[in-house]
Amino acid sequence: MPAIAGPSSSPQKHVVGSRSESIGGVRSAEVNTSRKRKLISDSAAEVSATVVLPVNSISTPMKWKSPRRCAVSIPKTSDEEIKEDSNEKLENPVISVCLEVKSKWNPKDDEQMKAVKEALHVSKAPSTVVCREDEQRRVFEFVKGCMEQKKAGSLYICGCPGTGKSLSMEKVRLQAEEWAKQAGLHCPETVSVNCTSLTKSTDIFSKILGNYESGKKANGSFSPLQQLQRLFSQKQQQSRSKMMLIIADEMDYLITRDRGVLHELFMLTTLPLSRCILIGTVFCVINVHFLKSVSYGQTSFKFKVRICPPGVANAIDLADRFLPKLKSLNCKPLVVTFRAYSKDQILRILQERLVALPFVAFQSNALEICARKVSAASGDMRKALCVCRSALEILEIEVRGSIDQEPKGPVPECQVVKMDHMIAALSKTFKSPIVDTIQSLPQHQQIIVCSAAKAFRGSKKDRTIAELNKLYLEICKSSMITPAGITEFSNMCTVLNDQGILKLSLARDDKLKRVSLRVDEADITFALKEIRFFRNCLL
Amino acid sequence: MGKETPAEKSLNLIRGRLCDPSYVFRPLSASSDSNYSKLKFIVSTSITEGCNNSMLLLGPRGSGKAAVLDLGVGDLLEQFPDSVSVIRLNGLLHSDDNCAFKEIAKQLCMEHHLLFSKMASFDDNSQFIIAMLRACGLAHKTIIFVLDEFDMFAQGKQRLLYSLLDAMQSVTSQAVVVGISSRLDADQLLEKRVRSRFSHRKFLFLPPSREELDGLFVHLLSLPADSGFPSGYVSRFNDKIKNLTSDTRFKDILKTLFNANSTVNSFLKFIFCAVSLMNLESGLLSLENFKAALSSMQRQPKLEAVRDCSVLELYLLVCMRRLEVKEQSSYNFISVMKEYKAIHDSFHTSDYYAQNVCLRAFEHLRERQVICYAENRGQSQTGEYRLQKLLISASELHQGMRSHACCPAILLKLLDH
Repeated sequence: MPAIAGPSSSPQKHVVGSRSESIGGVRSAEVNTSRKRKLISDSAAEVSATVVLPVNSISTPMKWKSPRRCAVSIPKTSDEEIKEDSNEKLENPVISVCLEVKSKWNPKDDEQMKAVKEALHVSKAPSTVVCREDEQRRVFEFVKGCMEQKKAGSLYICGCPGTGKSLSMEKVRLQAEEWAKQAGLHCPETVSVNCTSLTKSTDIFSKILGNYESGKKANGSFSPLQQLQRLFSQKQQQSRSKMMLIIADEMDYLITRDRGVLHELFMLTTLPLSRCILIGTVFCVINVHFLKSVSYGQTSFKFKVRICPPGVANAIDLADRFLPKLKSLNCKPLVVTFRAYSKDQILRILQERLVALPFVAFQSNALEICARKVSAASGDMRKALCVCRSALEILEIEVRGSIDQEPKGPVPECQVVKMDHMIAALSKTFKSPIVDTIQSLPQHQQIIVCSAAKAFRGSKKDRTIAELNKLYLEICKSSMITPAGITEFSNMCTVLNDQGILKLSLARDDKLKRVSLRVDEADITFALKEIRFFRNCLL
Repeated sequence: MGKETPAEKSLNLIRGRLCDPSYVFRPLSASSDSNYSKLKFIVSTSITEGCNNSMLLLGPRGSGKAAVLDLGVGDLLEQFPDSVSVIRLNGLLHSDDNCAFKEIAKQLCMEHHLLFSKMASFDDNSQFIIAMLRACGLAHKTIIFVLDEFDMFAQGKQRLLYSLLDAMQSVTSQAVVVGISSRLDADQLLEKRVRSRFSHRKFLFLPPSREELDGLFVHLLSLPADSGFPSGYVSRFNDKIKNLTSDTRFKDILKTLFNANSTVNSFLKFIFCAVSLMNLESGLLSLENFKAALSSMQRQPKLEAVRDCSVLELYLLVCMRRLEVKEQSSYNFISVMKEYKAIHDSFHTSDYYAQNVCLRAFEHLRERQVICYAENRGQSQTGEYRLQKLLISASELHQGMRSHACCPAILLKLLDH
């Protein structure tokens, strides 16, 4: 097999060189167009920007080859205008090249491959959050109601990871700011806290206080919680009538043994605020993740997984379990549940991301099977995007392989991500490495794993190493194999324990250690049944 | 001291090769299907296209996970010298989150010639790391985080993993997180939030095939022709190596070795031991060197302990074994002395000692861990009345006694009945 970095590097460089030359030509045309466009304006700042631009373009042409466009929106300055111009120049060659190809996707083109990969990246946030309109509307109506009535309130958002909670909260925050501008109200002051970044759970009060009253942070006589309680209990001046929007992400990191921090955080919203019409108030929008895990089945030759249970009952139970006092004090938060994505939702989100591209990169069958498998496993959108990018890389490796063999035969015309690429990517993501590892173990270790499967076939959960050694010696005797010594046997058990196949207790001496099996017995049977030597032992 | 002989020079050359991971794993990574090629492809994609990736290298200990990663990262550092920086953490050293964040900040400061402050707090370090990730992303520089002993980072609250993976998904950063672990279920140990952000790329390091190991053997032990060795010695040495690889007895030795442990590390240890036993007069490796290496790797420490016992200690071990055969699963010194006295009365042996001498022999056995206390409770009792447990099996005792220099014949007879 020819290596990737073999003799193909030289023609590859030629192809890259010619492509950069053509792109450079297109770029210089764009520079002329933008210069003409800017001469019309009379603004002095824009004129100075125009003066700066040719110097940049002449002195540093290599900067235009930045591999990635900045996705974060930054407040505009003259420097940012120059950067935006360069971004526009980067986008235009892609469009012109695609118009020439007539919307047929060429996987060998690096620019097009980058565009597809960027569309599928997790960090690229779409402009509208698809399939979460209902949840967004509910949260937005809640926020709007609190702002209108200048009343405090608490909201509780729960769902599995990867279901769009933080993204939707970001959209609601932007919507609330726009709505406040239109309705003539004060813009809410926003505090975004990710609770995993707090060293102690009580640090959240310091962060809230730091955002609310920047001058009063130096006051050391009271704890931050007490200062916040005083602020929300007493009358405030007219200028402090802004609402405060607290977004606490990953809030279960605040759970302590006595749940004091969570309790106090919710109780901040029940302080006597509604009596004072002119006082600034606060309400919390809080994300809570479930403390349960989606478990994947141990069998690796089929995708047997448990589906995450629906979240409505668990959410109410979670709130009551963690915060029983809040219910009695009439402070129960509103609960919004983000269910795991279904097949249709995942498919719609993937198509929404790919529809912005001027070509077709994925077969619809491939997207369909990806949506089905991921929704059956966890409903996690990050997983679906990861599988799509993995399939894209499989196609990329295949295309590069065909580039190496270009003189041998004609390259097929239309190359997109097909069903088999997606199936390979899914199996790489979901497959357990247990079966491959058991099949590649040395022979005596396989005999030990086989002995362990026989030992734990009954209801017993753990045995000593001496008992396992006895079974091992029986299998070796029946198969006429010279058994390893007890020390070597113990070393092999340690190796299997390191890999997570067996579990050894921490007894000091070897004979007294207790062994238990971590791997499913069906996996061992499946891995060893193809070897003729073990077919009799496992029956 | 005189000049080095060709045998000593070849010995030093081969030992140096065996201790050099890049020399060992470079030929094993040559194919395009290997983990090295896949790893290098993904990391170079992250560097050239500015995307983030996370992956796990899984395999047993000694299978070359860190060595192959070092090969790939070394090649990429040569290819992109200004665009790559590597941050290395180890789960045994930095399993505490505060310690890990401090170490990351320290390595980032050293890499980019910044001033590192030991007094910085956890918040300062985490904000600095996020700011550095953002700055490196804007400068199109990729940071590779190597987390060795990845399953140790998965204990506790997993703040480090969550912070790294969340920064990779939310911020315009260019980073690759590589976890190295021998636990096959390392991704199952992750919390569900961390597991959602992890991209589930797993590279399985399986043992190499027999052809690859034979090629590795010749690659490690062949002497180069253009070195300072005498040409006759080089050809004789290399012919000897080729004859060894085609010898059936040598193949049996390798088969016995690989049936117990087939990782590359154990293979290297085996070759190192054999090469160290090379005859310095002739300067050639022989089959006996590899036989001696195999037997030294198959040591039985408890057999050697039994072989070195005194005759009285052997008597005590046989008495304990006889008590176990009589279905007495626990016994103390008093029971063993009763059995010892019964044997003496029945067979009138000449080796009969007083009780205090036997007690000292008993304590010698326990110090060598041939026997141990059955229970940890009851430490207030004296040693004679605490329950004991024999830690060697009957077959081990039998083999040890047969290989003993001056074992009385009656003890073997007593052990059988």
